[in-house]
Amino acid sequence: MIWRVFRVIIVLVCVGLLCKACLVKDVPPEMTANRTENSSDNSFLNYTSPKNVVVNGSDYQQSQISVGKFGGEIISSTIGEGPKTFNPFNSKDNTSSTMAGILYDGLLTTNPVTGQPEPKLAKDFSISPDWKTYTIYLRQGINWSDGKPITADDVVFSWKDIIFAGLGDTSLRDSVYIDGKLPKVRKIDDYTVEFKIDKPYAPFVRLLSASIAPKHYFLPAVKKGAAYFDGFLSTNTNPDEIVSSGAFKLKEYIPAQRVVFERNPNYYLINKNGDKLPYLDRFIYLIVGDLNNEVLKFEAKELDVINLQGSKVARYKSLEPHSDFKLYNLGPTTGTMYLSVNINNRKNKNGDYYVNPIKQKWFQDLNFRTAIDYAIDRRNMVFNIANGIGEPLYTAESLNSIYLNKNLKPYEKNLEKSRNLLQKSGFYLKNEKLYDKDGNRVEFNLYTNAGNTEREAIGVMVKQDLEELGMKVNFKPIEFNSLVNKLVSTFDWDMVIMGLTGSPIEPNGGKNVWLSDGRLHMFNMRTPSEGKSGILSWEKDLDECFIKGALASNFDERKKYYDRYQEIVYNQKPMIYIYSPIIIVAIRDKFKNIYPTSLGGMLHNIAEIWIEGGKK
Amino acid sequence: MEILKYIFKRILQAIPLLILISFISFFIIRLSPVDPLAELKLNPSISPATVEKERQRLGLDKPIIVQYGKWAFSFVKGDLGVTSTGERVSQKLKERIPNTLLLTTVVIILTWIVGVPLGIIAAVKWRTNFDRFLTVLTSIGMAIPSFFFAVLLLLFAVKTGWFPIGGLTGPNFSDLSFWGKFLDISYHLVLPVIVLFTISLAGLQRQMRANMLDVLDSDYVKFARAKGLPEFVVIYKHALRNAVNPMITLLGFEFAGLLSGAALTEYVFQYPGLGRLILEAVLKSDINLVMASLMMGAVMLVAGNLIADILLIITDPRIRVRA
Repeated sequence: MIWRVFRVIIVLVCVGLLCKACLVKDVPPEMTANRTENSSDNSFLNYTSPKNVVVNGSDYQQSQISVGKFGGEIISSTIGEGPKTFNPFNSKDNTSSTMAGILYDGLLTTNPVTGQPEPKLAKDFSISPDWKTYTIYLRQGINWSDGKPITADDVVFSWKDIIFAGLGDTSLRDSVYIDGKLPKVRKIDDYTVEFKIDKPYAPFVRLLSASIAPKHYFLPAVKKGAAYFDGFLSTNTNPDEIVSSGAFKLKEYIPAQRVVFERNPNYYLINKNGDKLPYLDRFIYLIVGDLNNEVLKFEAKELDVINLQGSKVARYKSLEPHSDFKLYNLGPTTGTMYLSVNINNRKNKNGDYYVNPIKQKWFQDLNFRTAIDYAIDRRNMVFNIANGIGEPLYTAESLNSIYLNKNLKPYEKNLEKSRNLLQKSGFYLKNEKLYDKDGNRVEFNLYTNAGNTEREAIGVMVKQDLEELGMKVNFKPIEFNSLVNKLVSTFDWDMVIMGLTGSPIEPNGGKNVWLSDGRLHMFNMRTPSEGKSGILSWEKDLDECFIKGALASNFDERKKYYDRYQEIVYNQKPMIYIYSPIIIVAIRDKFKNIYPTSLGGMLHNIAEIWIEGGKK
Repeated sequence: MEILKYIFKRILQAIPLLILISFISFFIIRLSPVDPLAELKLNPSISPATVEKERQRLGLDKPIIVQYGKWAFSFVKGDLGVTSTGERVSQKLKERIPNTLLLTTVVIILTWIVGVPLGIIAAVKWRTNFDRFLTVLTSIGMAIPSFFFAVLLLLFAVKTGWFPIGGLTGPNFSDLSFWGKFLDISYHLVLPVIVLFTISLAGLQRQMRANMLDVLDSDYVKFARAKGLPEFVVIYKHALRNAVNPMITLLGFEFAGLLSGAALTEYVFQYPGLGRLILEAVLKSDINLVMASLMMGAVMLVAGNLIADILLIITDPRIRVRA
């Protein structure tokens, strides 16, 4: 008898738990058809950057948007193992640079709407008419988080003794070498610094957004040499002793769990009432292991902001009307996804060709590459792989780049055109199989890195599209490291699907890819000993675009060169661009002053964000 | 004295074993086609000079055997080296080991406190309804893959909002009082402990029950009963002491699993333990970190077996004679 009662109770408990599990409102089925296009709410485009004001002799920045309430916290997330260091001069991975970027402001920043440089830690800057002298005017009366003033000494120290001296991560120094020479930096007075370069070099102004270090805090570490500097400001540093300049300072770092920042009371931004910002007391990053966990945490309200993947957007869109978050469409990403063809025609040290000579003839044939381009159905891929949350891509610059060449028109899949082009080059079809004019079956390998589901899906669809032309494509997703080895060392690949992240404001970063002796000039990679041997005429044109584009000074002049480079790539098709995913971000709607932009992202004005219904 | 000599002998035996393990692991990791510099090489903003500098810093420009020699030399000196990002391996491990130990010891204590008595009761009440009920429960426990079970519990936590989604502490942890901290950690531990507890309880209970049944069927138990001893004494004095031997060996293995046994569950629950750290290290071929964790696992296994054998000597006079 007791047993029966017991069993009944167990069943009841199970049913009860199941019912509770179903209580949370799930997607109503009729809503899932909703598409995201409607979500493009453009009201956030009228963001106004803070302006300079003088209060009691100090140069503050004043927020130009609505005044909010103080208090509260925002919880964001970072995927992976968390930051490796808080040293802005030694951060080699994205998470570390993000964290260091919160702690240390740069002299300049990028306007999140227009993409033009504008002052941040500096009050103002001027560039001489010959584009060789950059003068930076610093704010007077603003302080580091420990109360010591920020002066020209800090700026000169950061550039001369850290960056130019090659301490920490040297990639910044590598990018300011102009014809093998470093710029000169000089203190004019306590609040004025001058940078001099030998030749006009347009990308330089972007580099001025590099973080500035407090001299009194960094000096002892710099004196102890490079090896010590690499470990300086590591994640084990006691947060109380860190001296920083950003809107938030470090409160605690708990390995594999979270990074907590708290408001910096000495920050130089004020609102229209003259109160010191930021509004939020704390800015927390949870360290999560993977995307799935991030989504779960957002749904359980442990996170306030999340970047959504294409496949999740439809669900969130339908949840949005009866939930406490809002979706924002930030436009296409800065990354580009492409199919590259190996047009290398050289031999390796053993005298063997990197690429099979039969295949070389196809890959070097522009008609062949164009035929592939026209056979690829980009729209279909956007629809099926990115769930419609993407834009077809035809240019080497990403769609949100301020240098995007808008004259290069998109085109649709056109098998007829592809077949004609192949025919022109002597390819012929026999039993639905494609042969070249020497009677060789057209068959090649297509690689991508295994584990990246998006690229794998693209590979499968590219394979299907190309098989419609009668080509035989062996699609081989391989381990990332082996793939990189093929691309940069052994060059024994035919086609590859890869992605690169670019900068939407500075195309010069792509020079490693496009210069004929660049380190990532994958489609026609040369070893250092080969130099520029066997350079093709359009590669020469590309070299010219990048060399002259970097030296030209004003935007319009530079744009001409970068337009030209995109046109060459568009016509020569060494890399066939596929699509750019669109970034959709969800954020709780209690947060106000949210002005997301494509260039700045969601939280670019973190100091101005406040919470409705906040404490005080 | 005999025991000390025995322990010393065992430790000496373990040394060649550890050398062999380290040798094989080092070569397998280094010979796998994972290039720790691949990400750097594919980053357009990193210069070749920087890549070269990294290669020298990680010692990748030297032949494998030299790399192994250098690693082994510093390992013997007690220096675990630095990770590929320049942090000290010992520091990284020190951050994580307490968290993993906390989780695994809680689980082991719980399972032994619950599992052993349940096994005994099931054996004593053999073929009663209670035994059958336990059999069903433990079969379920053994049948559910821990990974799947963990994911299910996570979904349960999301839907109900009753439990946190992984992690070990809440965002306001540092502001809490001592008891607040204690409650916060316990609250976060509930789900991972349930997963690990269910899985290991099932095995332990079955093992204990089988041992006990074996012993209860033996002649000396029959004799003890025939002699007229109370049932309590028969079971807890005569049967249990004999049935517990295999469990001690098991305890040795549990000891080895203290640091590595929960990796999968840790990963699903985003628990800041060793599991996540090591997984990431393996993927990046972070040799020093991987080697340190492998060696730690090997040492723990050897030590666990040694401890089990010593305990056996203490509990079982038959072994004492031979040793």
